[in-house]
Amino acid sequence: MSGSSSTPPSSPPAIEARELTKVFPLQWSKGYMVAVDKVSFTVNAGEVYGLIGPNGSGKSTTMKLVLGLMAPSLGTTKVFGLSTSDVRARSEIGFLPENPYFYKHLTGAETLRFYGKLCGLRGRSLQERIGELLELVDLEHARDRRLAGYSKGMLQRIGLAQALVQRPRLVVLDEPTAGVDPIGSREIRDLILRLKQEGISVFLCSHLLEQVQEVCDRVGIIFQGKLRREGPLDELTAIENQTEILLQEASPALISKIQALIQAEGADLLSLGRPRTTLERLFLDEVERGLADARSAGVHSAEPSPPPRP
Amino acid sequence: MSVPNHAPMPGRPVPPMFSPGRIWTLAAATFTQLVRMRTFYFLLFFAVLVFGMSNVNLLYTAEQQLSTIRGTSFGAMWLFAWLFAVTATAVVIPRDIEDRTLYTILSKPVPRVEYLLGKFFGVLLVITVALGAMLLLSGLVLEFRKAGLIAETRSYLEQSPDLTPADIQGQLDAISSEGFHPRLFTAAWIILLQAAVMAAATILVSTFASSSLFTIIVGIAFFLIGHGHRIAVDYWSEGGATNNWLAWAAKVVPDFHIFNVHEKIVAGSTASPLVMAEITAYAGVYCVVYLLLGWYMFSDKEF
Repeated sequence: MSGSSSTPPSSPPAIEARELTKVFPLQWSKGYMVAVDKVSFTVNAGEVYGLIGPNGSGKSTTMKLVLGLMAPSLGTTKVFGLSTSDVRARSEIGFLPENPYFYKHLTGAETLRFYGKLCGLRGRSLQERIGELLELVDLEHARDRRLAGYSKGMLQRIGLAQALVQRPRLVVLDEPTAGVDPIGSREIRDLILRLKQEGISVFLCSHLLEQVQEVCDRVGIIFQGKLRREGPLDELTAIENQTEILLQEASPALISKIQALIQAEGADLLSLGRPRTTLERLFLDEVERGLADARSAGVHSAEPSPPPRP
Repeated sequence: MSVPNHAPMPGRPVPPMFSPGRIWTLAAATFTQLVRMRTFYFLLFFAVLVFGMSNVNLLYTAEQQLSTIRGTSFGAMWLFAWLFAVTATAVVIPRDIEDRTLYTILSKPVPRVEYLLGKFFGVLLVITVALGAMLLLSGLVLEFRKAGLIAETRSYLEQSPDLTPADIQGQLDAISSEGFHPRLFTAAWIILLQAAVMAAATILVSTFASSSLFTIIVGIAFFLIGHGHRIAVDYWSEGGATNNWLAWAAKVVPDFHIFNVHEKIVAGSTASPLVMAEITAYAGVYCVVYLLLGWYMFSDKEF
């Protein structure tokens, strides 16, 4: 996936982590635990970077180091050239934590106003921004409802809106689709792609590999605190000694000829069959089809309309 | 979904390193949080207490009745202020940590000192508004009751042939002097100052405490030690203890007896501007020191 970044090429990297190490002392013993071990990676401006790894692999600690919520034991992290210990760097970052909890006593609009004011937004520009973001995350109908009455998916969406409130250049997302239904998950995926089109860098932590594969330009695989593999997604996922041919409207005769040619050349045919769609795609297609049927039959559905396909 | 522009703002202004606006935003959010937790329900209890006291006629004189209303009102205000300062402050920061709301706040351009100050001023704002409301309510009850007592006393005294109009007026003036007096504002100010010291100390504790309960217990212990402060210092002095360590230990916790001046003011004394300035400075120094220590503890805290 290549980014259509609007950021000038001279722009410093969105994130530059060098030899990042975090050591936690263990309680009641003289030992220590290395949560992140000499991790180095770069997220270029306008790029979507996915950090994947199993639970306890060091993803969240790396993210907290990038956000400046933790200080590294060794190494450095910079956001657009500024050290993450510098508060000013955070005006460039929008952060959505996993399972976000906000002040439940505030309404959706009040929540965005609160975070907007923390970023220095005021007056009409803030009001307009709140309206834009509520429209973006489809929460206009709940703008004056307190967050205590929001569902998990709605909380995730208001969390995304607060992350974007100051128009950051870097958005950090920790498991952004955790607890979100397939349609909501699809919308968040589309939003990530849209942010990328607008030149916004995205740093994404997830263990939903399919989702990461769909949106990321580059991927890092972290395990036991070490970055095991890192690079462009296309390069990492390519199997060097295999070639894939995808045909459309191929006759059985043509396929027989190709098989014979493969045998004649001494290569192995590993698989032959029809490509599979994903369960997510199947689900969304069925929902879309159902809605279309209902519409053609003149029945108005209470369900939200499905997201536009990218 | 519509497609608004989310592209970064061109020429984004550099956020200031210290912003009173951000502190105010955090303080206002804390105020709203505490108000929506229905903390002002205490005012209903206070209203019932004050109205109840105004209708109790067990005492002999009108002056004593007004004095009792005044004393009870300010006693309740004092209790509310320091207890609320401890419990509310002990809740607001640990709750942000547990709910991970702190992550989203500190990932914005918010220095940690501003976060602490926002919480501190938010709690103080609630206490100030509550004290103002209680002061207003007790003032109204006092004046209403005073008017009734003066009318009753006047009609009673006017039936006595031995009393001259000057005698009657003297007695009525004595009753009137027990009503609401502007000096009571200074008593409320001293109560607020003591609450501010308690809130600052509780902020300091909550920066390293592991739970709200622990913070509340330490806060209340701090309050009790502050009240036993003078007794302890006198005891050490009588025993000839001139240990420097004890002298420094005595300075760590403020002497809360200093704030007991509000009781004398409520009883009828007046505090001079110099005394008021000294008490204000004393509370101010402790607030600043506790908040600086809290900032030091909080600045490297990892979540």
